Amino acid sequence: MKRLEKFLPLLPVYLFYGLLFLFGRSVEGMWQPAALAAFYAALGQAFNVFLGMTGYVDFGYVAFMALGAYGMALTISNFYTIAWLDGWLILMGLIAAALFSGALSVAVGAIALRLRGAYFAIATVGVNEGFRFLLEGVKLWGGSEGIVISSKLRTAFGTEGASELSTFWADVFVFLIAGLAAFVTLRYMQSRIGYALTALREDEDAAKSMGIYTTKYKLIAFITSSALAGLIGATAWTLKLTYVFPADAFAIHYTVEAIVIVILGGAGTLMGPVVGGVLYAVLKYGLGVTFPGLQLLILAPIILAIIVLFPEGIVGVLKTRVQGTVLQKFIV
Amino acid sequence: MILGSVYGLMTMGLSLIFGVLKIVNVGHGAFMMVGAYIAYWMFHLLGLSPIISIPIALAAGMALGYFFFQIVIAKLTTAAELTTLLATFAMGILLEESARFLWGPDYRGFSWNVGRLMLPPVAIIPLGKIYALISSSIVALLLYLWFKKGRSGSAVRAVMEDREGARVCGINVGRIYALSFSVGIGLTVLSGNLLTLFVPVGINPYMGGVYTLKAFVIAVLGGLSSPWGAFFAGFLFGLIENGSYTIFGLVPGLEPFSMTQFFAFFLLLMILLWKPTGLFGTK
Repeated sequence: MKRLEKFLPLLPVYLFYGLLFLFGRSVEGMWQPAALAAFYAALGQAFNVFLGMTGYVDFGYVAFMALGAYGMALTISNFYTIAWLDGWLILMGLIAAALFSGALSVAVGAIALRLRGAYFAIATVGVNEGFRFLLEGVKLWGGSEGIVISSKLRTAFGTEGASELSTFWADVFVFLIAGLAAFVTLRYMQSRIGYALTALREDEDAAKSMGIYTTKYKLIAFITSSALAGLIGATAWTLKLTYVFPADAFAIHYTVEAIVIVILGGAGTLMGPVVGGVLYAVLKYGLGVTFPGLQLLILAPIILAIIVLFPEGIVGVLKTRVQGTVLQKFIV
Repeated sequence: MILGSVYGLMTMGLSLIFGVLKIVNVGHGAFMMVGAYIAYWMFHLLGLSPIISIPIALAAGMALGYFFFQIVIAKLTTAAELTTLLATFAMGILLEESARFLWGPDYRGFSWNVGRLMLPPVAIIPLGKIYALISSSIVALLLYLWFKKGRSGSAVRAVMEDREGARVCGINVGRIYALSFSVGIGLTVLSGNLLTLFVPVGINPYMGGVYTLKAFVIAVLGGLSSPWGAFFAGFLFGLIENGSYTIFGLVPGLEPFSMTQFFAFFLLLMILLWKPTGLFGTK
C-alpha cells in the first residue's frame, strides 16, 4: 500500500482521460473533439516535462513534433510494401519518430542549452525555422511538397484498415501517449531528476554550486520531452492526417499553443497541462463553432488576461489551496 | 543593400525593447504589418506618399506601444521569459486578427511612381528606395542624437546598463520602460511603413512573421541589446541575404530562397554560440 501511495496523483489524471475517452466514444459526433482535447493535453504534458520543470522556454518545440511526424512518414513510405510487417509497421514508425526527435534534441540540447533565457528562446526558434528551410532548400524528404502516405497506408492495411487507423487508432495512440507522459512526469518529479530540476529552475547558479550537474538533468528533461513530442507528431499528424508538409509541421503557433496550455494549467504541475489542454481545446473548439473565423481574435485577449491575472495557472492556484487537506496527495 | 537600412530600423525597435525591458517582442512583425497598412491607407485614401506618413506611423506606433505597455507589459517587467514571450505573441495575434477582421485577408498593394535614379553603368534604382534609405538614416541619426545628448535618452541608456543603479540615481525606471516600449514600437511601425517603399505589394494581415524572424537574426548579429549594432547589422544582413541568394542560385538542385533563409538561421545559431554579444558587441 505504501508503495502504491506515491502513484496516487496519477489517479485523477487517468480518471480524467478515461472519462474523456468514454465521452468521446459514447456521444455521437464527440470523438473528434475528445481526440482534440487529448491531443492538446498530451502536447501540454510533453512540453511541461521540459518547460515546466526547467523554466527554459523552447520556442522551437514544434520542430520535434515535426521530426516525429517525418519519422513515421518515412518509415511507412519505405516499408509499406512488406506485407508481413502489418501492425509492426506502426510500431517501427513510433520508434523511428522517437529516435528522430530524440536525436535532434541531443544535437540542439548540446548546443543551445548553454544559453539562457531569451537567448535560448531565440536559438530554438532559429533551429526550428532553419531546419524547415533546410528541408525545403535541399529538397530532402520531399522538400516543400512534403510526404503523402494515404495511398501507401491503403496498400498496407486495406481501405478499411487505413481509414480506421486514421480516424480511430491514431487518436487512441494520442491517449496512450498522454498517459505515458503523465507517468514519466510523475516519476521525474519524485526522483532525483525532479529535485535537481526544481533547484536549477529556481536558481541555476546556486544549483550548480551545490554540486548538481545541471547540464545532465536539463538534457534528460529536454530529450524526454522531445521524444514525447515526436510520438505525438507521429500519431496526431502523420497517422491521422496521412501527410506531412513542412510549412504545417514546423508552424510556430503549435509551440505557442503548447506554452499557453502549460501556463493556463500551471507550469511544473502534473495535473496542470491536462486541465489546461482540455480547457484550451474546449475554448478553441467552442469559439470556432460559435464565432467561426474569429476564435483567435477572441482568444488573444483571453491569453493576455490570464498571463496578467493568474500567472501560476489554475492548478498552481489549486495546489496552494489544498495544502494540508486530504486532497494534497492527489494534486501535485 | 538599401533594404538593409529598413532592416536596421526595424531591428532597432526590437533591440531597444530588449535592451531596456529584457523582453523579446515576438509580435514584432505584426507591428510592422500595422505600419504597412498605415502606408497603404494613407496612400489609398488620402493620396499621401509613404514619406509623409512617416511621422503618422511613428505617432500611431508610439500610441499603440503605450497602450499595450499600460495594459499588459507594465505588470510583467519582472516576470519570467515564458510569460513575456507569450504576452508579446498574443499581442501579435491580436493585431493580426484585428487587421483581418477590419480589412480582410486579401493581399493589397499600391504603386507609387516617383521615377528612377539612373546610374547607367551600375544600376537603375527606383527613387522610392533612395527616399527610404535617406529617411531611415535620418530617423536613425535622430535617435542616436536623442540617445547620446537628450536627457531622457541618457536615462534610457542608464536603465539599459543597470536597472537598480539607475533607480538609485533617481531615474523613474517605470517611466523609462514606458518610454522605451513606446519608442520601440513606434520605430517598428515606422519601419513597416518604409518597407512598403521596397515591397509595395503583398500587404496582408499575416505578412509580419517573416520579418519577426529576420529581425531576430539581425538583432543577434548586432548584439541583442544594442540598437546601434542593430542598425549596422541590418545593412550587413541585407548584403548577406542578397549575396547568398545569388550564390545558392548557382548550385543546381537547390531552392535558393529557402537556402538563404536556412543560411540566415545557421548564422544566428553560430553567433549565439560564439559571440552572444553580437559582432559589434563590446563585452
